[in-house]
Amino acid sequence: MRIDSTHKPWLWISSTILAVALLLYVFFRTPRALGSQGGTPLGLGFGIAGFTFMIFAGLLGARKKVPVWRVGRAQTWMRGHLWLGLLALPLILFHGGFHLGGALTSALMVLLIVVVASGIFGAVLQHYLPTVMTRELPLETIYEQIDSVRAQLLAEADERVAAIESAAPLAEFYSRRLRPYLENPSAREQPLAGADQAQAAFAQLRTLVPPELHETLGDLENICEEERQLTRQVQLHHWLHAWLLLHVPLSLALLLLGAAHAIMALRY
Amino acid sequence: MIELSIDGRKVSVPAGTTVFDAARINGIAIPTLCHQQNETPVGVCRVCVVDVGARVFTASCVRPVEPGMNVSTDSDRVRAARRTLVELLMSDHPSPCARQQHSGGCELETLAKLSGVTKPRFAPRGSSRGQDDSSLAIAVALDACILCDRCIRGCDDIRGNFVLGRMGKGAQTRIAFDNDKPMGDSSCVSCGECMVSCPTGALTNKFVVSTALPAAPGSEPVAPEELLALPLFKNISGTFLELNQRAVLKRHFRRGEVICREGEYGSTAFYILEGKARVSLSSPIAYVKTQGGARGFFSKLTSALAGRSADRREEEGNQRSIPIDAPVDLAYDNPVAELGPGDMFGEMTCMNFYPRSATVRAETDCTMLEMLRNVLDILQRNKTFRAQMDETYRRRALDSHLRNVPLFAKLNPEFLDHLRERVELVRFAPGQTICRQNDPADSFYLVRLGFVKVSENYPGGELVLAYLSRGDYFGEIGLLGGGPRIATCTALDHVEVVRICGEDFAEMIAQFPEVRSGLEQVAQERQEANRQRMSLVRSVPLEYFLAQGLMEAQSLLVLDLEKCTRCDNCVRACADAHDGVTRLVREGLRFDKYLVATSCRQCRDPLCMVGCPVGSIRRRNSLEVIIEDWCIGCGLCAQNCPYGNINLHPFTVQAEDPGAPGRQVATVRQKATSCDLCTEHAEPSCVYACPHDAAHRVDPRKYFAPLLGTGTGAAKS
Amino acid sequence: MPRTRTTKKLAQRIDMNYFTRPHPLRRWRFRLSVALPVLAALWLGWHAVRGDARPYLSGGLSPAHALLTARCETCHVRSGSEFSAGASDAACLTCHDGPPHHATAAFTPSCASCHVEHRGAVRLAATADATCTQCHADLHTSGGPTTFVSNISSFATQHPEFAVLRAGGPDPNGIKLNHYRHMQPNLAGPSGAGPQGSVQLICQDCHRTPADTRAWPYASGAPAAGIAAGNGAISNSTTGNSLLAPGPSAAYMAAPAYAQACAACHTLEFDRRFSEGVPHDKPEVIHAFLVQKFQAYIAVHPAELREPRQPGRDIAGKPIPPEYRILMPTQWVAEHTGEAEQLLWRKTCNQCHILDWAEGATLPAIRPSSLTVRFMPHARFDHAAHQGLTCASCHASAATSQESADLLLPGIATCQQCHRPEEQAAESRCFECHTYHDGSKRQAVPGRFTLPELTDRMARPSPVGSRRGNY
Repeated sequence: MRIDSTHKPWLWISSTILAVALLLYVFFRTPRALGSQGGTPLGLGFGIAGFTFMIFAGLLGARKKVPVWRVGRAQTWMRGHLWLGLLALPLILFHGGFHLGGALTSALMVLLIVVVASGIFGAVLQHYLPTVMTRELPLETIYEQIDSVRAQLLAEADERVAAIESAAPLAEFYSRRLRPYLENPSAREQPLAGADQAQAAFAQLRTLVPPELHETLGDLENICEEERQLTRQVQLHHWLHAWLLLHVPLSLALLLLGAAHAIMALRY
Repeated sequence: MIELSIDGRKVSVPAGTTVFDAARINGIAIPTLCHQQNETPVGVCRVCVVDVGARVFTASCVRPVEPGMNVSTDSDRVRAARRTLVELLMSDHPSPCARQQHSGGCELETLAKLSGVTKPRFAPRGSSRGQDDSSLAIAVALDACILCDRCIRGCDDIRGNFVLGRMGKGAQTRIAFDNDKPMGDSSCVSCGECMVSCPTGALTNKFVVSTALPAAPGSEPVAPEELLALPLFKNISGTFLELNQRAVLKRHFRRGEVICREGEYGSTAFYILEGKARVSLSSPIAYVKTQGGARGFFSKLTSALAGRSADRREEEGNQRSIPIDAPVDLAYDNPVAELGPGDMFGEMTCMNFYPRSATVRAETDCTMLEMLRNVLDILQRNKTFRAQMDETYRRRALDSHLRNVPLFAKLNPEFLDHLRERVELVRFAPGQTICRQNDPADSFYLVRLGFVKVSENYPGGELVLAYLSRGDYFGEIGLLGGGPRIATCTALDHVEVVRICGEDFAEMIAQFPEVRSGLEQVAQERQEANRQRMSLVRSVPLEYFLAQGLMEAQSLLVLDLEKCTRCDNCVRACADAHDGVTRLVREGLRFDKYLVATSCRQCRDPLCMVGCPVGSIRRRNSLEVIIEDWCIGCGLCAQNCPYGNINLHPFTVQAEDPGAPGRQVATVRQKATSCDLCTEHAEPSCVYACPHDAAHRVDPRKYFAPLLGTGTGAAKS
Repeated sequence: MPRTRTTKKLAQRIDMNYFTRPHPLRRWRFRLSVALPVLAALWLGWHAVRGDARPYLSGGLSPAHALLTARCETCHVRSGSEFSAGASDAACLTCHDGPPHHATAAFTPSCASCHVEHRGAVRLAATADATCTQCHADLHTSGGPTTFVSNISSFATQHPEFAVLRAGGPDPNGIKLNHYRHMQPNLAGPSGAGPQGSVQLICQDCHRTPADTRAWPYASGAPAAGIAAGNGAISNSTTGNSLLAPGPSAAYMAAPAYAQACAACHTLEFDRRFSEGVPHDKPEVIHAFLVQKFQAYIAVHPAELREPRQPGRDIAGKPIPPEYRILMPTQWVAEHTGEAEQLLWRKTCNQCHILDWAEGATLPAIRPSSLTVRFMPHARFDHAAHQGLTCASCHASAATSQESADLLLPGIATCQQCHRPEEQAAESRCFECHTYHDGSKRQAVPGRFTLPELTDRMARPSPVGSRRGNY
């Protein structure tokens, strides 16, 4: 998601909420000596608001599981998740009066900070990486199918090489260097993995094979380029999605512990 | 009796006998090329010239004898002349020609050998006169033609088909079919007379591999005499049958045997001689769903909860039958029908190689004729056959077809009986225009066989509205006698339509006034729909738009790659909205920064619709293409779609075990799926579910107008 | 034939069901999403099973209550099915006595609202100013207007001057003392320099706390007697030489006693015939002492019964007394007692005391000295805490005070010099000097815990109020 000018309404609303919260906190908070601030009415208000935002943010996962239910566009949910989830952090900080408190509340604060920080990190990645991917990978395909596509590319390369009476340099190049690369493109020391090396290798090969094979060479070079882009795609895809491995589980733990905290704090 | 001497022999022949005949009667053979015993001689080749003592030699085949003629058929001068003639003819002859290669029977080359002509002194023609491969049975190689006229005389005089003629002048003279049509498109009935008459390899029999049906157990070849005895083959050329013996087989089926299965590709038609057969659809009439498992369960649950209503069919009126490739249609509620002796099925498959539209199983022990296209082609050109098929059609299917037309749905049987007798069955060749836009409308058409393209022209191009197939109708405006046609209808392949003329109809509705009001209403609705459709169309010059077929599209699903995080939510949403089968694939070519996803483009010219054997892929009035639930999974639409937007999805059903009838076994069936724009929702599910505002369904010309420099509008459709 | 890319070819490379099969990234995300919350639940569950609520503590307990950390129910008493249970007053009162502040207090705050627990190792008694100022910043009582100052919000900025100084009234004592004279160098008593000669007095020569056991420099040799005997050192014999022996209070200065502070210089001679002075006692006792003394003397010196005339003692205008007077012993005793008493009442005693003569009384009544030990009844002051300071640094006015009526109590400004709200200053919160609970109404609360209850982790204390008395 690109954070562009269509986010303005959300930005305004969030800033307003933050400003109001800040004012309330500065002027109406109870001093710490009179007990933990989370339990005061204002503190409870912050806590409830913050937790509500967190629950809403958590519901995005559930929303994505039922994409066709008409409960609001996914875009709206996503923007809400981003902005209201971001607001949860200052609200909870106000709720706790910037103190860590006991074991559970310290854990919660740490979790919240990590979750929000990872979320911001992810949002930044999602802002920039798609453009990078689009620019660098004209031959990209669907990530989950990359293995299957690679197998198909290998089969295609085999077919093309088999279809011609290969000149010796081509056959040798194919069996010694190109095919191993196609079979295992992400292994270390794959010289063809570098764009420049591949170009040089193919250029050299062109001088060694007769002109009627140049078309096949061009095709093989194309296949090689596609492999390279797929490797890069895997890399970028991991960047784009790996942070979720931190963000999602921690947020669920956060919600669970947050609920436990809310219940126990209200009980005592 | 006239007395003359030939080669020194005195002969006496009746008056009017030609010199050739006189010689022949008396055992003297004069070589000929253009003369054939059973044809009127024309004397064009001059090979039969003889010396009758006149100033010049005379063609013996046309010169009647005169008393006291002194004919010399074999003198040196005659031989030299003959030789020169042959040499001249051989200089243009592609030796060895087809006939010579096949059977060594090229009369010209034989004559050349006899005359001692080995290599002509003269230069061959500069340009080829061409070849015509369009006929199924006869190969036309005009370079070998010596313009002997035998074929023309055979077609005209012997057969009376009057197809062949001469065309052109001087050195460009050649034989032609009708008014210079390709032979296969002409009114040639492939009787083979011309081929049999031709002395050279100009007209030869095509020994196509598929003109022989493979022998199967229970099949036996049929002798042409037997075939000719059948009323079906009355007036068919015996020569043709003789030459294409293996193109027809008699098949015996035991009770319960499957004759053909729906979705299979075939190339033959069947004619039932004895016995009864049951025709049905064995694909379940349902939309494709995913299998079980957690994914399947959840997707079914979400589909159910998403409130996706069952497919609405209000535009169809009360079409409750599935058109198939047989004399009857199948009722939607109970897709089973019976065929009996005299019924032919599989015509579409045979003529156009479409997949079989239904499963046919022998109810009793059956005997059928299975034939290839060339035989069916001949039959279809045969008037007797056509009359028979007409009658069957009128009896079995016309009624229900007429009832399917909403106009006629509520008619009483009397009117329909009246109507039935007044309809005309008309055939159209591929590409032929049936009716043209803006022409005055005067007839109503109902399609019996084949595919008709209905299109509108507007500034900038042609918009295909629909491909109509069996059971569909068009042109009801014509019945009111009002207004010009709003669309052009063209036959895509061999089409047969039922035509009701406006005058006939006017007569009839004078008797039944209630029909008129129904008609007027429909006409209004159609015109309104048409107005709306035209307003969707812009007059942007199409050539400004890029290739990739984007200009063919009326609606594209584009993914803005700069916003897309490749999360697959769109795909999952599509699957959830469609019982677990996604209609979109997040792969395709790019345009600028957009990925044009593989999902139905609602093409102006929906090639996917051509050829559906059961008519289950159709276009709604709102222009989206949908696939009905009786799709039999033949895959033709998937093949036809140039963008891969239609996919076949397998699913298992409990079906009867073919090896052990009565037992159920799980088999894998397929059905075709394609994007239907989620019209029951305000927004397509994929667009709705994209969290990053990256998926859009757009009208490409409007949306990309800024990029193309054709405007500022970037509205989404 | 070169490679071509068409939409159809690309789409057909893809398996239509790819999204139904979870890919490692998704699988791991799912697994972690299950594992981490389960871990969190296990953590809480582990503590729940063990019965301790440590994760939920928002802070440690104060040192006094630390043993109760695992026993939330001790204070968080839950009755029946109510959901929320804060620390109830009843729970506090089972162990502690918290007498109410004033009968006329407008409302009684809950124990926990002032004594805030769960803040770690803090002193619970060290309540925040806000707990006091919630009433005292704008004081309303349930009994109508009050004499106390109505808006006190902090010691540094809004605390009234001490009441006794505010009244501005005189020190209500019955003694005549000039501190200025007494602080002069080369001081001698009214009868001349005492046995030590001219001295320089310092504050501690007269003003000491009862805990001060040094020898008084200006005490009489006689054993201390009479009123205001001051609390001499209490014998420590019962406790031996323990380092932790309880001692007398060192908070307030004892009222100076004559025997310890004054006796050396202010001697009570009454007649040239005797070297000793009268006892520092009531007039009746002095009178009886004099009579007895003179009687004892005349009995031994009968010749004194004949008193010659002393021309120096003639009073002009009065008849000249005879040359000799022969007195009866009782007469002689009475005369000389009277003379001695004249000297004492009119000079010696009068120097420091105020004598009141009732109508027709023969002996005066000596006004009680009424030396105030505690000037501020509503605040605590401890001289021992301030013993690092010189007396004059706070009681600066004493050096120049010449009237007994002078109030020599330092004003609030003196205290405020050190007791400021800054961190590097002396404590200035309310509790430092004042208390909420009315100490006069204290009652003992019987103990309720047994040792196993406090030390055995799994034992549970019996519910509140289940035990009476302590045994």
